Amino acid sequence: MTDQTSVIQDVQRGMIPAHIYNDKEIFELEKERLFGRSWLFVAHESEVPEAGDYVVRRVLEDSFIISRDEKGEIRALFNMCLHRGMQVCRAEMGNASHFRCPYHGWSYRNDGRIVGLPFHKEAYGGEEGFKKKGQTLLPAPSLGIYNGLIFISLDPDAEPLEDFLGDFKFYMDYYTKQSADGIELRGPQRWRVKANWKIGAENFAGDMYHTPQTHTSVVEIGLFREPKAEKRKDGTTYWAGNGGGTTYKLPEGSLEDRLRYVGYPDEMIGRMKEQWTQQQLDVVGKDGFMVSAASLFPNMSFVHNWPRVEEGSDEVLPFISIRMWQPISENETEVLSWFAVDKNASEEYKALSYKAYLMCFGSGGMFEQDDVENWVSLTNTAAGSMARRLLLNGRMGLLEDGQNVVEPLTAKEYSGPGSTRIGYSEYNQRELLFRWADHLERPVQAAAQLHVGIDPVQAGAVAGGDAAPSVGSAATVPAAMMSQEA
Amino acid sequence: MTVNTAHEASGTTLSEQSALGAHAPRTQRTGRSLPFNDELHLEAHRWLVDEAYLLDEQDYDEWLSRIADDMHYLMPVRVTTALGAGYSTSPGMAHMDENKYSLSRRVARFATEHAWTEDPPSRLRHYVTNVRTFRTEKADEIIAESAVLLFRSRGDVGEAATVSAGREDLLRRTATGWQLARRTIMLDEAVIRMQNLAIFL
Ligand code: FES
Ligand SMILES: [Fe+2]
Repeated sequence: MTDQTSVIQDVQRGMIPAHIYNDKEIFELEKERLFGRSWLFVAHESEVPEAGDYVVRRVLEDSFIISRDEKGEIRALFNMCLHRGMQVCRAEMGNASHFRCPYHGWSYRNDGRIVGLPFHKEAYGGEEGFKKKGQTLLPAPSLGIYNGLIFISLDPDAEPLEDFLGDFKFYMDYYTKQSADGIELRGPQRWRVKANWKIGAENFAGDMYHTPQTHTSVVEIGLFREPKAEKRKDGTTYWAGNGGGTTYKLPEGSLEDRLRYVGYPDEMIGRMKEQWTQQQLDVVGKDGFMVSAASLFPNMSFVHNWPRVEEGSDEVLPFISIRMWQPISENETEVLSWFAVDKNASEEYKALSYKAYLMCFGSGGMFEQDDVENWVSLTNTAAGSMARRLLLNGRMGLLEDGQNVVEPLTAKEYSGPGSTRIGYSEYNQRELLFRWADHLERPVQAAAQLHVGIDPVQAGAVAGGDAAPSVGSAATVPAAMMSQEA
Repeated sequence: MTVNTAHEASGTTLSEQSALGAHAPRTQRTGRSLPFNDELHLEAHRWLVDEAYLLDEQDYDEWLSRIADDMHYLMPVRVTTALGAGYSTSPGMAHMDENKYSLSRRVARFATEHAWTEDPPSRLRHYVTNVRTFRTEKADEIIAESAVLLFRSRGDVGEAATVSAGREDLLRRTATGWQLARRTIMLDEAVIRMQNLAIFL
């Protein structure tokens, strides 16, 4: 494999080797060193509200059953039968107390425990031969939940999710905690685009600069009033913890006026005031900024916009969307896009907000259509040898000597955490790529293996005792340690 | 259990179940499909073929003029569920759930000079087949079902995208000809392999 040191160094000084948006070797490295250990969003609790509800989600090639077990606990189970490796659950959503493998009929409870193993005694000699007791489908190495958002990491030693999110939680609350009960999620719409996964994440993180150009048409047809060039650059970009995003500048007025301006009804505003901290309220009410798009490293994004959804009215209505840029290859991404809405909102609000979402974002959204066209084209252009000669300048906001064009807002000017600036810049895209480079630079440890049904140390020989005993690597976790109470 | 283009097992139509379908006409088919030499069938078939040409040419203003004011245009998200689950669409989520106003915004956008996704325009071909027609309880309304395959090519050598779907349409006779009043589009894929839905099916 090619040494990527220079690519990493270029990225660390804000220059972007254009080929990273379509490079097989880089992608292999991303799979191993980035997606192999980062926290990744898979589902929201509201997608599996009842005991037995499940959805099936992928992390790269790995399929996981995200289920709510009979005790109400959320599980993320690797969707591979412990017998000969068949995919256990082949639906993408449903409700089940058990999953039965179609191949030889092993069955598992919705918390992962084996319950049925046909001919256990006759075929294996019972527990002596195969320790069924305590065996479960392989759980995701790490699982964390914030505001109902379920994340998993393939790294068993991943830092706690909340530490990873850090101050970005402050901003996630605007999208996912508008009242004590949080959001409900619908979807996802899923579609595949011939674009590298990083481009969307970078765009949502901080690309205010593209809005007036790319999205001219939606302003022209009266769907959205904001993206006009002058307006967009009055907003901010912020970076906090492991995520960052963009805001719009709101007109003068009180907190309530400003929330009404983007279309929130008074009853929702009332709940926001109960729910959000004073600082969270001050970003809107005192500083006058409203969150728009955002990304959490590496590949989760958020959108909050307020288009006009009805004929003959100037009223706008906000919607929220959550998405994953699921990497398929160096030049293909599966987009998973959900509609999110506060659980306590009225049915009428939910319907109109959903309409606003469909018109603007997602597979048919009028904003999104033009974005994707650009990203597909970019990915195509990045494939060839000429792209390898081009170091794109990703330094917007920095002078050549590293000085800032615009200084961050002070605590007096801005109430939120992180580093926040008014106007166009690429700080956030750089923050994403810095983290990307950090991961790519750092080799991964070999993962622990689970020896299904036997004790790897004491396990006797196979093939009638002629062959060598099975070798457990240093990283091997004895099966007993993986057991859960049955 | 059979799931046709417009009904899920619960018995009600997808248009009725959808989040934005409250305004939609509720007319349902009656009886068996009409003979292929029935005048109504011939008119429905002609309407669908003419429409396919309009959509290929992206003549969306003309297309919109053939859409009824109470139009409901629904394209649910398909999901893979276990046999017997009773549903194969994502609860509460569609790719498109449109009324005439939102369709008109989409059409208006294509008419601006800044709809980049269609500049240069795609080469489109809508293949319409398996057309059958039903009478309804209303004399001036018929149901037409069809299969549609869209071939969409952009640029020179990039891989073309295809989408396959079944449709159930409600057509209404008016003084100026037939109008489309309801369309339910059942995609045949859970994951769309097309960069966006800047097209109509
Ligand atoms: S592979 Fe699942 S039971 Fe055999
Ligand atoms: Fe955009």
